Amino acid sequence: MQNPYIPYPVVVDKIITEVDTKDIKTFRLKFVNPEDEQKYAYIPGQFGELSIFGKGECPIGIASSPTQKGYVEFTVQKAGVVTTALHEMEEGTLMGIRGPLGNSWPLDYLAGKNIVVVGGGFAFTTLRSLINYMLHEDNRKRFGNITVIYGARTPGLLLYKDELAEWGKRTDLNLNVTVDKGDASWKGREGFVPAVCKEVAPSKENAVAVICGPPVMIRFTLPVFFELGFSKENIITSLEMRMKCGIGKCGRCNVGSKYVCKDGPVFSLAELDKLTPEY
Amino acid sequence: MEKRLIKKDALAGIAKKMADDFLVWAPVKKEDNVLFAPLGRNDEPFFSYLNSKNAPKNVFFPHTETMMKYTRTEKGMTFSAEVNKAEQSVLFGVRPCDAHSFVLLDKLFDQEKYKDGYYIAKRKNTTVISLACATPPYTSCFCTSVDGEPVSSDGADILLTDIGGDYLVEFVTPKGEALAKYFGETKADAQAESKKAEIAAKAKEAVKSKIPAHEVKPILDVNFDNPFWNTIHGKCLACGTCTYLCPTCHCFDISDEVKGSDGVRIRSWDSCMFPLFTKETSGHNPRPSQKERWRQRTMHKFKYYVDMFNAISCVGCGRCVMYCPVNIDIRKIVQDISKL
Repeated sequence: MQNPYIPYPVVVDKIITEVDTKDIKTFRLKFVNPEDEQKYAYIPGQFGELSIFGKGECPIGIASSPTQKGYVEFTVQKAGVVTTALHEMEEGTLMGIRGPLGNSWPLDYLAGKNIVVVGGGFAFTTLRSLINYMLHEDNRKRFGNITVIYGARTPGLLLYKDELAEWGKRTDLNLNVTVDKGDASWKGREGFVPAVCKEVAPSKENAVAVICGPPVMIRFTLPVFFELGFSKENIITSLEMRMKCGIGKCGRCNVGSKYVCKDGPVFSLAELDKLTPEY
Repeated sequence: MEKRLIKKDALAGIAKKMADDFLVWAPVKKEDNVLFAPLGRNDEPFFSYLNSKNAPKNVFFPHTETMMKYTRTEKGMTFSAEVNKAEQSVLFGVRPCDAHSFVLLDKLFDQEKYKDGYYIAKRKNTTVISLACATPPYTSCFCTSVDGEPVSSDGADILLTDIGGDYLVEFVTPKGEALAKYFGETKADAQAESKKAEIAAKAKEAVKSKIPAHEVKPILDVNFDNPFWNTIHGKCLACGTCTYLCPTCHCFDISDEVKGSDGVRIRSWDSCMFPLFTKETSGHNPRPSQKERWRQRTMHKFKYYVDMFNAISCVGCGRCVMYCPVNIDIRKIVQDISKL
């Protein structure tokens, strides 16, 4: 049986600097042992522990979709010890990943429904995984209308710009990208995510909203969806907590009786209401 | 299963004989403390102890343990899992409360989905010999309030009970029976068994400290925001003594240590009492003060563990009561909660 504490060896295949501030990069990782890719079969919404020699580990949401074969991607902001080390890495470097960990976006529940994806800033990563999964030709017909509302503070802080451009050309996706404040070259929408949600006003009929973003965005976005008539069962989000083991043993990421690493990170608002407000 | 009798003064000899064949963890006197430690050739086990200062959980879950090793190469690192070095061991003479803690820790480390190989390997290769408390050791003992008893074989493979001149030796599991050859040939008679039953009943009776541990679960379910939580932590020093000595506390940290081009990833005990335990890189801390940390510790023992595993995560050993430098008493906390 696989020792859940031991990472799979991976090589950094490609590093993409996502934002103009250069502190968010996407790392495309390839498994050193090809058979490990099978063992790392994941679902959008799950996360992994990135493992760097002498620095330690950090839990990061998986940004690629399982429909993208041959690699796994993580989009990482430079923040602490491990992520700083990661940002200083070069392509070709060996490192490790553990996982996949946690539950996932509830794909079976989402199937057959209209999906509203709302993302803010750097929290867009596992939503991008979900979107790419749903848009894949094998999966697209399993989902109804897909509406995406994604905001960043500035145009330069938008992640996955090439992909956004591709999505914008599709007819089976209602894409709404907004920035708090545009610049000279920005021709798109300006405004905060909650306001754009209000304007786009997705219908609650047979719909689920998947929302991920900074706390301030969540705080102002939820009332919009309540007003639109979305029930708490149909608003789904993902939590972050400090983690170490990722498998519900080291005892630090619990919210009440649930471990965010093992029982989460994905919860519906209805589920969150039952938990203690300590996150 | 079989029961035997051994002379009381034979016990140390048996432990030492076993130490010729296995790694034997036994209570030994070190300075002013009685600690569970590997029994060396010149060590004398000390069985007239009340309870050890450290909980013997470190036998299965050491303070610090290597999880993997790695070597820096030009292109990053290569790594290998630390092979579980669990040699055949005997944990000799633990108190029943501490043996009970192993049953509780098993629920966490030996779950169906994620198995903790480091803990499980040691647990599987270790025979637990409990030494019943014929008389309750301390006034702070409250095992009978948390599903324990002073004479109990819970979590033990062999139970030893002092019945006067002899120890009654009860083999509880096949693992325990496998060590039968060390315990002589004298079969226990019915008289010895009735004597043990008498002692067990008396010992149970003698545990005077009681807490309403089972009653507080429904109260904790609905009192997360009760102002009561403001009243516990004022004098707490966040030293972590309670969690380090606790037989059931299992929180740990994972960190890397490097020397030259070689490194290890280790896990070491951590504590929910420490401010950094939950502090995130952003600076946000979901448990920002000692208030939330005390609530977490209390809730974890008497509510969360019950929710998760249907068991209270406290064995009533009283170590946290005895050794808290500012006399925070979990018994009083539970009693106060029962009145909310």
